[in-house]
Amino acid sequence: MIDPALLVAVPLAGSALPAVASRLRPRTGWPLALGVLLVQSVLAVWVAAAALAGDPVRTQVAGIPAPFGIGLLVDALSAPFVVLIALAALAVLAYTRRGGPRSGAFYSLYLLLIGGLTGVCVTTDVFNLYVFLEISGLASYGMVAQADRGAAALAALKYLLVGTVGASLYLFGVGYAYVATGTLDMAALRAALPAASDPLALAALGLMVLGLSVKVALFPLHTWKPDAYEAAPPGVAALLAALASTVAAYALGRLLLAVFPGVAEAVVDAALLGLAAASIVAGSLLAYRSESVARLLAYSSLAQFGIVVVGFVVATPTAIAGSVVHLIGHAVMKAGSFLVVGLLARTHDVRTVAEYAGLARRSPYVSAGFAVLALGLIGIPPTVGFAGKFYIALGAIEAGSWTAAALVLASTLFGLVYLGRVLERMYVGEGDTHAGPTGAASPGMYAAVAVAVLATLALGGVGPLVEGWLAPVLDGLDAGLAMGVVP
Amino acid sequence: MKPYHESPVVTHTVRVVAPFILTFGLFTLLHGTKSVGGGFQGGVIVASVAVLFAFAFGVSQTEATLPGVRIVAFAALGLLSFAAVAGAALVVGRPFLDTTAFGVSPVYPVEVIEVAIGVTVASVVTGLFFELARADDA
Amino acid sequence: MLERLPYLAAIALVGIGLAVLVDDEHLVKKVLGLNVFQTGIFLFFVTAAAREGGSAPNVAKAGPYANPLPQVLILTAIVVGVSVTAVALALLVRIHAEYGTLREDAVRAAIEEGRE
Repeated sequence: MIDPALLVAVPLAGSALPAVASRLRPRTGWPLALGVLLVQSVLAVWVAAAALAGDPVRTQVAGIPAPFGIGLLVDALSAPFVVLIALAALAVLAYTRRGGPRSGAFYSLYLLLIGGLTGVCVTTDVFNLYVFLEISGLASYGMVAQADRGAAALAALKYLLVGTVGASLYLFGVGYAYVATGTLDMAALRAALPAASDPLALAALGLMVLGLSVKVALFPLHTWKPDAYEAAPPGVAALLAALASTVAAYALGRLLLAVFPGVAEAVVDAALLGLAAASIVAGSLLAYRSESVARLLAYSSLAQFGIVVVGFVVATPTAIAGSVVHLIGHAVMKAGSFLVVGLLARTHDVRTVAEYAGLARRSPYVSAGFAVLALGLIGIPPTVGFAGKFYIALGAIEAGSWTAAALVLASTLFGLVYLGRVLERMYVGEGDTHAGPTGAASPGMYAAVAVAVLATLALGGVGPLVEGWLAPVLDGLDAGLAMGVVP
Repeated sequence: MKPYHESPVVTHTVRVVAPFILTFGLFTLLHGTKSVGGGFQGGVIVASVAVLFAFAFGVSQTEATLPGVRIVAFAALGLLSFAAVAGAALVVGRPFLDTTAFGVSPVYPVEVIEVAIGVTVASVVTGLFFELARADDA
Repeated sequence: MLERLPYLAAIALVGIGLAVLVDDEHLVKKVLGLNVFQTGIFLFFVTAAAREGGSAPNVAKAGPYANPLPQVLILTAIVVGVSVTAVALALLVRIHAEYGTLREDAVRAAIEEGRE
């Protein structure tokens, strides 16, 4: 069997190659990154398929047994994210061949980001998670700054300051968890935390959740997001929109489900539901008020991640499956939308909602693709956006949590308002007929968008499948077995 | 900044001292398994030699003998050697990074890793120094 | 009370760092604030590692000993912190080269001006 450590080690070690090779021969960064990512994708699909077909795939790094060593685990909860990271990285790479920054250093950062994000998904050690969080963070700060404009450097610095505070707060929480229990292994923490003293366990939970909420960008901890996504090169914005917050949300979900059940549930659930509600309302409002389409999409993420958190708070198997589906679906749809924004900025030099007027006539295919992605983000069947929201709402109703169900439905209505505004401009608005195409786009750019659109439609029926995969894991979590605790 | 003048006292001292510093760096580097030291500390001491040379002979001349591509290549070499040792355990069917997998005392694989870390740290610190020194010249 | 003093210092550092980070317009001071904030967290870990009357499992000599695990964790966290600071300073160099100032309000004003 393949050691899951390779999923992380291949991109991390591979990140050394583009920086060196591009100094010896220009333009060798892209093919090298492609090679490394292809290897990593094959490994990811292989390990994930094994994990979903049978038992979770796990390893202890260096053979040091849990709870002393660092464990790596690919189970049904992390497998979808491992595959998502690998495939999204490949799709966006196709886009950056012509569209993105081309320096060797950029592709080194790219691989570093992929390695770090995969690490967050597979580790079962809370401190190791912090290290991977910072590796992916550092790479993404550098990638945002790759845009030529000076505004990108400022946006990257803001992202760095806020992101580091978030990660450090998480580390602070890890400190409390260690003081309370004397272990950093997720399974051992889960066993030891309920018996630990209340203030310590509560401080650990509060700080870790707060830190990850900054990384997820829940309102009001979101301020880094719109600036970073707007200033970043389009390929980078798409990659970060697909993966950065998604992986942080996965980590949040993993902690809530696998580490902290049994610690002050009522208080935490109420607080998180409040945070999610604020995100949904404020994110939608801010999205409605923004002129730049990139900012609109960034603010829309606040609302979407609010829904995901609702699913994790409700925490019935149906709702958790819904959150996973919505995380994957949102990654695909949001990345696709950012790619469209980059594509249109290149071919038609349009960036604001007003400038999008009448685009459907000038660029019918790309506009149709964007329409599918936007309808998916709103949550119209048969897209994956509907599947995720439907399962979360269903789970909320099953659990009798009417507030949660109402939040999901409200977010759909809000989405209709702020995304409908863009679609209305594109299809009904009278475009100022300023000249045709201003630049060309590569086949790779169109292909990346097409993949996102097709995935949005194709993943629409994935809900029951994910629910089936997750069932044994969630049962195991409840029994305290799945994370490696020997009964 | 004042134009740079080579001082015979400084250059000669650096010539005499440099081998000793390098040896001490290597000593610190290889001692990481048993006592205080290791790749990070040893690497920084080794890098300090490049900095000394830059002070004695001027940044541009030192950089000419140690071009950027070589520095980056050394940094990459260290990283890849670390990965190779870690991955070699997989080849013999043991977990990633298992240093007991090779039939020798785990000290030896760990020393290889320490050297790899040292190479990377030394080249990164040297590269950072040149990068900052150049910004100062401009 | 005296043995709790380092915890108070840790919390104070966290607070001071965050206040500087949020309140100061100068970007270098923001980065410094971030460093102070992180140092507070490091101090928290190291303080928690200290054990009065602790003994080491394989060394016979008398203490004082500390739990090495948090110290190793913080060694890693310090390396991470240094990397973050290095990236932040690189960004500052670029901002200064582009706008000739490191005050956030002035940089924002310059960006707004460039847009119009």
